[in-house]
Amino acid sequence: MKVTQQSTDNTLTLSLDGELDASSSVLLDTELTKPEVLNYQKVLIDCQRLNYISSAGLGVFISHLQQFQDAGVKLVFFNMQEKVHNVFEILGLDALMTIVPSQAEATAI
Amino acid sequence: MPFLQKLKPAILPLAALSWLVLLVSTLLHANAALAARFGTPPEWLTLVAQASFVAAVFLYQRGQPDPLRGTDFVGLLRRLVLGPGLLAAGCVGLHLLERLIEFGSPTTDRTFFSVVYTINLGLFVIFLAYTNYSWRSLVLFRATTTIRSNWVWFEILLGGTLLFRLLNWAPPGPLATVIIGSLAMFGIYLSSNQKWIAYLSRRQKWEVVLMQMALLLCMAVFVAYFLRIAQDPKLVAPTPQHAFLLLTVFFAAFYSLMGLMVTLFNLPTAGIFEQKREEILSLQRLTQLIQKGQNEQEVYDMLFDASVQTVEADAAWLDVDAEVPGNLQGKRFNIEEDTIVAIRGLLADYNLGHIEYLNNDLPGSSGFRGLGLQLGSLIVMPMRSAKRQYGSLYMLKEQRQGFDRENLGILQTFATQTVLSIENLQLLAHSLQNERVQEELKIASSVQDSLIPKNLPIDNWFEIGSHARAAKEVGGDFYDFLHLPGKRLAILIGDVSGKGITAAFHMAQMKGIFHALMQENPLAKNDREKFPVPSKFMAMSNQALIHCLEKSSFITAALYIIDYEHGGFVFARAGHCHTLYYHSIKEEVSYFRTAGLGLGIIRNDGYEKHIKNQFYDYNPGDVMVIYTDGIVEARGADQEEYGEERLKQMLERNYYLDANEIKQQILNDLDEFSYGQPMHDDQTLLVIKFKAAQPDTLN
Repeated sequence: MKVTQQSTDNTLTLSLDGELDASSSVLLDTELTKPEVLNYQKVLIDCQRLNYISSAGLGVFISHLQQFQDAGVKLVFFNMQEKVHNVFEILGLDALMTIVPSQAEATAI
Repeated sequence: MPFLQKLKPAILPLAALSWLVLLVSTLLHANAALAARFGTPPEWLTLVAQASFVAAVFLYQRGQPDPLRGTDFVGLLRRLVLGPGLLAAGCVGLHLLERLIEFGSPTTDRTFFSVVYTINLGLFVIFLAYTNYSWRSLVLFRATTTIRSNWVWFEILLGGTLLFRLLNWAPPGPLATVIIGSLAMFGIYLSSNQKWIAYLSRRQKWEVVLMQMALLLCMAVFVAYFLRIAQDPKLVAPTPQHAFLLLTVFFAAFYSLMGLMVTLFNLPTAGIFEQKREEILSLQRLTQLIQKGQNEQEVYDMLFDASVQTVEADAAWLDVDAEVPGNLQGKRFNIEEDTIVAIRGLLADYNLGHIEYLNNDLPGSSGFRGLGLQLGSLIVMPMRSAKRQYGSLYMLKEQRQGFDRENLGILQTFATQTVLSIENLQLLAHSLQNERVQEELKIASSVQDSLIPKNLPIDNWFEIGSHARAAKEVGGDFYDFLHLPGKRLAILIGDVSGKGITAAFHMAQMKGIFHALMQENPLAKNDREKFPVPSKFMAMSNQALIHCLEKSSFITAALYIIDYEHGGFVFARAGHCHTLYYHSIKEEVSYFRTAGLGLGIIRNDGYEKHIKNQFYDYNPGDVMVIYTDGIVEARGADQEEYGEERLKQMLERNYYLDANEIKQQILNDLDEFSYGQPMHDDQTLLVIKFKAAQPDTLN
């Protein structure tokens, strides 16, 4: 699992590469816990290379969801693979989180 | 040598017989009256008797078991002095007795003289044989094969010289000297093998010196006797086996002398050897203590005592950094507490408290001079591993230059050994602790097992097949059944995110919530409100879980309430896997793809709008498959997931079977799919097959 960061004035983009399981979710959690994350208007998650997400991985996003909402930070997922999207959908997260097909749409929000 | 083996029992009688022959022959020579009566034996008989007696005694000694027991060199020498040494005393005694008798009544009769001579010759040969074979044990002690074969050659050549006299052949003058001389050199060469002396302690060396002297004295007595009577006119017997005896005496005496010298020269260094030995013994004691599994305090005590003893410290102390304060005690020897505090403070000032440090001139160092100590040298030896510092050892001596590099090395070894022992003990304690945890996990596992219903509801309107297995000792999957009044059955299935103990706790909690919420509400206005509908149940569960589920955890669940009086069911899916369903009327398999959010994800009262009820009227022959994600997310050989599609195909192929058979077919396929792969997640599978309702048969 690799997490690469890219930031502009008001947008932080995290690209996930590999499998987000119990061990790698710690890494992502560290990134999202950093206080400066809440200074952005948008946090975009690029899921193009995300092959698998476990419940621990989902847990990371869930645990930050409320905090992001309270701080007015938008959490947007894009480029999500079919099977990963399926996991979000089964759990009902697609109704809570913004998941869009492409980066362009994500930036446009 | 089988030939010698057969000869063995005959050797002792042969020796005795040949000695008797020798005695008789000497007597016949000495006593004219007897000679007149029995005739004088030929000289060759005497010579053969002599030679065979010598050979037999040596062979007999050769065949005796090794006189050296273990490394008891002193014992070997003591037996040598006490046994054969007494023979020498006997020899002297006999000679004096003979002199005394002759002094009392001078006579020209040679009978008694000859008897004494023959006896003494016998004793001398026995003495030599015993000595020689004792020396063999010492020469061959830890010897190489070369030395061993050299020794055999030495024996053979010595034996050869026996033949000189027997064949009555004397090599021409210079040749004899050369042969005897080179054999003597051979003996000298063998005498240089004195390895055993290194194994003696100082005291033993002194004992050895004294005993070697006694032995040399014995030999001197014999030699003096034979030299003396060689000139005696009364001697009639043929002279003994000169060459052989000469060489043997030479070898025995030289080895003894050499041993004596080596021991003497080794005496001054014996102390050092002993010190090294003491160090090794201390190390051994330290090592043994670990194996006995003693506690940490004992290991420290042992280290302290061994260190003080080994470096001969005049004062010392040991600081132990215990992980739990007060758990372990330091040690103090011959030093006041305030002196310790002062030195410790000084070392801390120089930042030397926790590193290896040797100061052999305390009065010369300004800081220590200021303390006004009566001490000259100091070693500080920290005990540490890669992980942590265990403490420090301080050794002090009154004189300056009291410690050397070796002392430092030894203390280093001790400290390393101690740290190893301590860490070993800690590992042992940890593994015991681990075992206890394992034991408790087993209990947890059996407790959790009891939470899973063992008796599936049995009725004639449906069949249920169930399967559950956890990836670890305890898991986060659960399912449960509850009969509700009015011919209804509630089925709950769920999965707590994560695995192991935490998941197991929440699973138990969920089961509790299920049983608490599925109680009949006495205030309900109508039948429908007596029990919460699935979506209401999920909203209430979510509310209950908010306070105990940690932020990153969530639970997925699905609740089905089947009304078999009316042939229908209602369910709500809270983020749980989609329900797989076979519709017998349409002859079609599909998933109920309803929306529904997992529990514990949103933690305010907005949850209820994220969950929906789904109603469905079932027909006999319909099959419902409910499961957890451990089934569809099981990995195959190429890391591919089992998947919903494959599960669907399995039901399409097997819907006509019994519920249990359908379950088994799915499991077989799953096992085949994930053969050889580790199990990542708990797996739960329930198959419910509806049959034509037959009311009033049971209820």
